[in-house]
Amino acid sequence: MSAIINEVLKWFFKKPVTIEYPKEETEVEKDARGRHYSDLSKCIGCSLCAIDCPTGAITMKKIPEGYEVPKKNPRRLFPVIDYMKCIFCYRCVTICPVRAYVTTNEYRLASTIRPETSEELSLNTLRRVGEGGK
Amino acid sequence: MTETRADKVVEFPMLVEVPIGPQHPAVHEPIMLKVYVDGEEVVKVEINTGYNHRGVEKLAERNTFYKNIFLCGRVCGICNTVHANCYVRALEAILNVDPPPRAKYLRVLAMELERIHSHMIINAIMAEILGFDTLFMYIMRDRELVMKAKEILTGARVLADYMMVGGVRRDLNEVKRDRIKDILRKLEPRVKYYMKVFEEDATIRKRLVDIGTITSRDAVNHGLLGPTLRGSGIASDARDYDRYDAYGEVPFRLIVRKHGDSHDRMMVRWEETINSIEMCNYVLDHLPQGNAVPDERRLPRRFPEGEAYATAEAPRGELTYYVISKGGDKPYRVKIRTPSFNNIINSGFVYLGHTLADVPVILVSFDPCISCMERVIVTDLRNGVRRKVPIRTLARGEVK
Repeated sequence: MSAIINEVLKWFFKKPVTIEYPKEETEVEKDARGRHYSDLSKCIGCSLCAIDCPTGAITMKKIPEGYEVPKKNPRRLFPVIDYMKCIFCYRCVTICPVRAYVTTNEYRLASTIRPETSEELSLNTLRRVGEGGK
Repeated sequence: MTETRADKVVEFPMLVEVPIGPQHPAVHEPIMLKVYVDGEEVVKVEINTGYNHRGVEKLAERNTFYKNIFLCGRVCGICNTVHANCYVRALEAILNVDPPPRAKYLRVLAMELERIHSHMIINAIMAEILGFDTLFMYIMRDRELVMKAKEILTGARVLADYMMVGGVRRDLNEVKRDRIKDILRKLEPRVKYYMKVFEEDATIRKRLVDIGTITSRDAVNHGLLGPTLRGSGIASDARDYDRYDAYGEVPFRLIVRKHGDSHDRMMVRWEETINSIEMCNYVLDHLPQGNAVPDERRLPRRFPEGEAYATAEAPRGELTYYVISKGGDKPYRVKIRTPSFNNIINSGFVYLGHTLADVPVILVSFDPCISCMERVIVTDLRNGVRRKVPIRTLARGEVK
């Protein structure tokens, strides 16, 4: 019994160990599996990630007009990930034949401001028609 | 007509039915114990399950072999690497693939880290159930260290998704190795301290010693598994008799205690935690060189015909997977037998004779994991046929 009392007294004068999220950020590993999206300058639109996704979170969409699509993507398809269905297993990242996925450690998918969707993040990797430089 | 008068009064003892659960009976999982008490004494316990049936086995038949690796990891949140490992080893047996030694060592590391945090959480919950909330907070605080180690190794705190046919999905570099070793160095004295508290604290001993005693004979007869079985004096561990992955090379102790009460079951878990820390340190020191991560793009999409049966020692006991492949890219059948299925459904006899307040303590001492164990089996008594039906059909009364 005395052992636990000493422990309690020792910690009574220390700062709390709980983290006041969201005031204070939680430390996450740099390579933790977080939000990921396809880099469309590399993507070939093969749909393998959509076929192999364990939860069916990936759908292939047409790249809208007004973007310069690389020639290696003749069908103009790109993967859109539904982050609410995604289980972040990174099967799409490892199965991709051209390693087109960009991975981040962003885990905060619920927030007061609308977080960026996979579609927006992916399309941002492409140049718009008529835009010079990247 | 003569008036008949009663000459005797017969009094029936008051038998009260107390439903414990299905919301949070002890651990935060859905199970209902219908406890019949005579005064304070428990005379009968009915164990009702079925609140968390998800149809994972049926879903596994519709998914491809590779999608199932992630599905099997989600059968149970706490023991996800063990589930995935057991399924992956069954697939490797069908494919006749042997993973490289470095991958085997890394698998052992992931599974032992998981065992540490699983045993810590159930001991923390036990402290909470006993009314010792301070100890619960302290154990949970130090459990965070292991979760961090798991995040460093696998990339996620809980659901690791670490296993893949022919190896693991992430390698470990020198920097990460040193960080995990540092965490284990901090963790070891803490675990030893908590073990001492469980061993010596008068309150804990009063609530646990001689509560829910299971003799070795009963433990074997009822098919109990894991720390529950080892707490009753039976030396049985899948890591010992199967020696899968690198368990044949990593030294470990088989921990057995004799008395079979709730206290011994918890102490088996603490000793295993300390042993697991030693095993993790051994693995980190003796990690073989080589490539541990297979190129997932080059793995075979179609599987040959065949069947495989794999066992693994999950934190709660022996876990088995039986996979049948009839060729193609989908399994014909995936059968999962989880340890909690045996430990909870067969354990109604342990509660008898104890007081109502001891029921949650005994339940927690079995380390129940309800999410893994839900099954529906309908037995047709006339024809002696057993078949599985979805719960929805059962609820509508459509079972003929």
